[in-house]
Formats: sequence, C-alpha cells, structure tokens
Amino acid sequence: MGQIITITSGKGGVGKSTTTANIATALAKYGKKVVAVDFDIGLRNLDMILGLENRIVYDVVDVMEGNCNLAQAIIKDKRVTNLHFIPASQTKDKNILNKEKVKKLLEDLKKEFEYILVDSPAGIESGFEHSIFLADRAIIVTTPEISAVRDADRVIGIIDSKSQKAIDGEEVEKHIIINRIKPDLVERGDMLAIEDVLHILSLPLVGVVPDTEEIVSSTNLGEPIVHNEKSLAGEAFRRIAKRIDGEEIPLLDLKSNNGFFAKLKGLFK
Amino acid sequence: MSFFGWFNKKKSGEVAKDRLMMMLEYERASTKINNIDEMKKDIIEVIKKYVQVKDVNIKNHSNQDFEALELEIILDK
Repeated sequence: MGQIITITSGKGGVGKSTTTANIATALAKYGKKVVAVDFDIGLRNLDMILGLENRIVYDVVDVMEGNCNLAQAIIKDKRVTNLHFIPASQTKDKNILNKEKVKKLLEDLKKEFEYILVDSPAGIESGFEHSIFLADRAIIVTTPEISAVRDADRVIGIIDSKSQKAIDGEEVEKHIIINRIKPDLVERGDMLAIEDVLHILSLPLVGVVPDTEEIVSSTNLGEPIVHNEKSLAGEAFRRIAKRIDGEEIPLLDLKSNNGFFAKLKGLFK
Repeated sequence: MSFFGWFNKKKSGEVAKDRLMMMLEYERASTKINNIDEMKKDIIEVIKKYVQVKDVNIKNHSNQDFEALELEIILDK
C-alpha cells in the first residue's frame, strides 16, 4: 500500500507546486512509483511546472464524477519513467469534491503507487480539507517570512483536527520545508533563521531550499530543477526526496562562507 | 536615534521572530478551542461568584514537550 503525502502551506505563493513537482520527480528518478495529484480545483498549476500541460485529456474531477476511468486520467511522464500525474480540473466549481469521492480516488491510487503526492490548494477551505483528510504524512512548506510562518502554524493546527488519522486518535506525520532562504540575509540578521522558524512551529525539518534564479527558468521550461545536477536548489530537493524515503542524509548546508565579507569576518573571530 | 540606540537596534529578523511568537500565542488558543468566546463567558461566570472580574484573556503556550493554556483574569477595580 502506498503512502499519501500532502504538500500544503496555508499561504499561497510559497512554492507548494514547485515543491510537489520536484519531490515527485526526484522520488521517481530514484525508482519509486509516484503519482502527483493536483487538488487545486479551478486553478491548475502543477501541469506546467511538470511540463505536462499539453497531454491533458481528463482531470481529477472527471475521475471522481465517473466521466472517465482512473487509468485514462493518469498521465505518464515520458522523460521519467515511474512519474505519473493527475491534473486539477479548471472550469468546474471548486466545491465539487466530496469526502466519499476523494476517499475512493486516493484509496485506488494507494493500491497502485508507492507515493501519492497531493498538491493542496492555498487557504483553509474545503479544497484544503479534502487534500489533508486522508493524508498519512503532511509536508508544510513555508518561507522565512512572518506571514507565511503564521499561516503555516494555523494549517498545522487544522491538520491535527481535520484529518482521518487525527479523528482515529493517530497522528499525521508532519514535516517542515523552508523554501526560498537567502543565506546572506539570514547572516545579516534580516531574515528569520531556520532555527527560529522551527522553534516557532515546533516540528521537525525535512529540508531547506535556497532562493535561486534557476527555479524561475526551470518553471519557464517545464523541467523540474531536480533534473539539473549542478543546481543547489535541485540538490536541496533531491535530498528532501531521499529523506522522505527514509534515507538518513544531512540537510543542505546553506551557510555562505565563501564571500569576501564572510572571509573578512572569519579573520576577526 | 542616539548613537547607542543604533548599536542596540534589533535586527529585523529578530523583530519578526518576536512579533510572530506574540501573535501565535493568541491565535493558537483560538484554533485549539472551537468556541473560545463561550468558554470565556463560562469562566467569567464562575469567577464572578468570588471576585468582580472585568475580562479574561486566553493564551496558548506550547513547545515539543508540553502545551498549556494561560488564563489572565483582569479584575474590576
């Protein structure tokens, strides 16, 4: 049986879909059978980040409404075997999902895939609740900004009350990803540090991702950054995928100690 | 700003941390308890039996080891 991992954040625009796309791609590259499901009904996004937008025929609502069968809606990535994708619907009412249909879909996927990555919509409305409802694990993506951390904190509270696991008296395993870190800003004291965010949210960290320009071009091209062996952000996501898969490897070291000023400061230490 | 003030000035990252922690103490209490206002009313009713109370503030403190609700009872002078 596969594992359902929901990627969520509360606040929009912190990089949920990019994170989903990259973890899914990396896990598939490591030989895991993965499906990424876009639950952001009405605002399809993950397709473009994965570069699969031209191959969509059916979407997640079509499956749940019975307009097609599950196999018809699953898109197989041609570049990465093992990577699969189900797009969000675009035109339909976002309140169309209901618990029973979501449950059926995810349970069917669990039989076929090792990892089911659910890209949750921003906010704390019904779409979010559906995406978290059957999660085995949750990954909360935040940036080191007060508004993002505040929303992450709210979302963590809701995961604990709305998920099936919580209702059954179990706990959804939760991890934090801190995205878009600017090491030089942190060093100057003008950005929340990793330790600060973890202290506030009191959850374990599964990864840190530096803010790099390569992410922008990778999204432009529809090629997740994990394909880029030289990219630091790509390396960050590859490590996150391995850590999710249970490998004990260290986090990416983001301390910028090769700049001129860092060296100068080093002299006075 | 004085010369010393400039040196003692907190970095913006630290200010962000302090602001967040203050805000979350209140917000966490309200997500933990579904009808916090009702609970507040009940608590006030009970305390009223003994002293004159003006208001009750509920905050949440938690870390990995423990979780606590803090009640601040403001008395009527």
